[in-house]
Amino acid sequence: MDPYDTPESTPRHGASSRLKGYFIGATPLRKRLESVRKQASFVPTPPRRKIPQCSQLQEDNDPQKFAFLLHKQWTLYSLTPLYKFSYTNLKEYSRLLSAFIAAEKQKGLAVEVGEDFNIKVTFSTLLGMKGTQRDPEAFLVQILSKSQLPSENRGQKVLWTGWFCCVFGDSLLETVPEDFTCVPLFLANGAETNTAIVGTWFQETFDCHFSSLAINAFNLSWMAAMWTACKMDQYMATTEFLWSVPCSPQSLDISYAIHPEDAKALWDSVHKTPGEVTQEEVDLFMDCLYSHFHRHFKIHLSATRLVRVSTSVASAHTDGKIKVSLNISS
Amino acid sequence: MDETVAEFIKRTILKIPMTEMMTILKAWDFLPENQLQTVNFRQRKESLVQDLVLLCESKRASLRDAALLDIIYTQFHQHQKVWDVFQMSKEPGEDVDLFDMERFKSSFEKILRRALKNVTVSFRDAEENAVWIRIAWGTQYRKPNQYKPVYVVYYSQTPYAFTSFCHLKSNTPLLSQALTVASNHHKIVKMDLRSRYLDSLKAIVFKQYNQKFETHNSTMPLQETLELDMHMDSRIIHENKIEKERVQRVTQETFGDYPQPRLEFAQYKLETKFRSDFHGGILAERKEPLRCLIKFSSPHLLEALKSLAPAGIADAPLSPLLTCIPNKGMNYFKIRDK
Repeated sequence: MDPYDTPESTPRHGASSRLKGYFIGATPLRKRLESVRKQASFVPTPPRRKIPQCSQLQEDNDPQKFAFLLHKQWTLYSLTPLYKFSYTNLKEYSRLLSAFIAAEKQKGLAVEVGEDFNIKVTFSTLLGMKGTQRDPEAFLVQILSKSQLPSENRGQKVLWTGWFCCVFGDSLLETVPEDFTCVPLFLANGAETNTAIVGTWFQETFDCHFSSLAINAFNLSWMAAMWTACKMDQYMATTEFLWSVPCSPQSLDISYAIHPEDAKALWDSVHKTPGEVTQEEVDLFMDCLYSHFHRHFKIHLSATRLVRVSTSVASAHTDGKIKVSLNISS
Repeated sequence: MDETVAEFIKRTILKIPMTEMMTILKAWDFLPENQLQTVNFRQRKESLVQDLVLLCESKRASLRDAALLDIIYTQFHQHQKVWDVFQMSKEPGEDVDLFDMERFKSSFEKILRRALKNVTVSFRDAEENAVWIRIAWGTQYRKPNQYKPVYVVYYSQTPYAFTSFCHLKSNTPLLSQALTVASNHHKIVKMDLRSRYLDSLKAIVFKQYNQKFETHNSTMPLQETLELDMHMDSRIIHENKIEKERVQRVTQETFGDYPQPRLEFAQYKLETKFRSDFHGGILAERKEPLRCLIKFSSPHLLEALKSLAPAGIADAPLSPLLTCIPNKGMNYFKIRDK
């Protein structure tokens, strides 16, 4: 069974009709794509994943650099390789994208009331945001608003952020030809109109293709298990699952929140192989949750659709949205 | 007319959708019919509101009139508020005296005024011996905030009162006390029941939901559907026919034939040990229970729950934790191991 039978994603609301076409459809690469920020990547789902002892990320001495990535909701897209993208041309790209955005906004394509047309775009590399040395460097694009008032001298508000990365993309990198840079995961935070404009520019400039990345229930369970497995000194948030029940005529949502210490205790009881997370363990973990629920309510959660998982570490929604809450620095 | 009253009336009328404007103004009965005829109801809403406010001014509308309009608006838009249920009780053996609505109202208002100088209390009688009470809270030094009132709907022939959710929780004890004393009760308790649908809360609490209605049923009973299909080709059989019929029957017995009262959610706080026949050994040594909070949400919860077993998503009979909701009149539960 192909675990990637994700349904065609629907066009993003808010993108103008002209751009809608870019956001529909699956690319062949998308099927093999998904980099979970913290640990393993997945390519056809392995039955077990090693917990890497040390990643590039951890060797980096400055966790502050990535602090801005936390506590924000990121919408995920998968991206085909960029043609003739160069890390030495970042300043040039900033200039070009700035001009493009200004032009688009003046066309009345994406006008937000009161928005400052004085914007600045920055491209920068995110050193260390990768799994192995082979992975291309991650880079960050930000749209900042320049305040027109001299009194607000440091008034540079970040309007939109997007970053591109490749983490443990070994199997992908093998098939990527020359002149192509493979950064398959794109994360965006900010107004969708801006995401659409930036996406269009990238597609026109580097001949690539974006598509929305949905996260199916299978992957959400893996994420829930792996995040629950993290050793924490302090839990900031409860561990919560949200299921959507396909009953008619009325919809039904079931939210199941479990105290994070209890979730961890359950995981510890299930987890047998040190240094690895196996499919059986993930299945058993979820099964225990289902069975506890069934004992009380006689409802089979496994027959419903898992839509969201949320832990102290991070949360993920099936529509391709994630939020990382805690930086595991140890 | 006071400026604040004018503003209050203006804002209240602005909330009213154009389709309901005439109906609500007529129910208010403050502006006479002939005057309403002179107003152009086809103009833009802002201008219409201005005209209406001017009319109110000329008739010297008071705060009392404005509050009444607010009650009527809320009666038409009950679903915009979330309602809690309070149950009162008398001392055992206490005499059941005849209820006097006027005495109740004056007593209720007096109790509130004694405690809080700044409070606006308004009443509007409703059917079934009920009264709608609107309370705008102030403080010792501040005038009442007309834009965050609390509503109480008291059914005088019953021990039940429904109150709209109040942000100022500090005033709840005072409100409870006023209700209890004014209605000659001894004790008041907040039930674990909450919903936007006042009618449903009433149905649950007054046990009115199990009346058979003559509704057109869009879903035919299962047997009929099965038989129809079987006439098509005798080689086609329905698998699990017996089981399906059993599920249908059990669901019908549990939920009844009638439309379910409308609730939006049910919440369960569980503190129970993990126990499973299939997963022996998991958490076996752990003495502490699993602390879970489970919330079911739906535009129409009970109908959704009713459809689960026939859809194969749940067993039949459904857990009593879910089916007891209308009977027990609760949608908040705390469950512990015995």
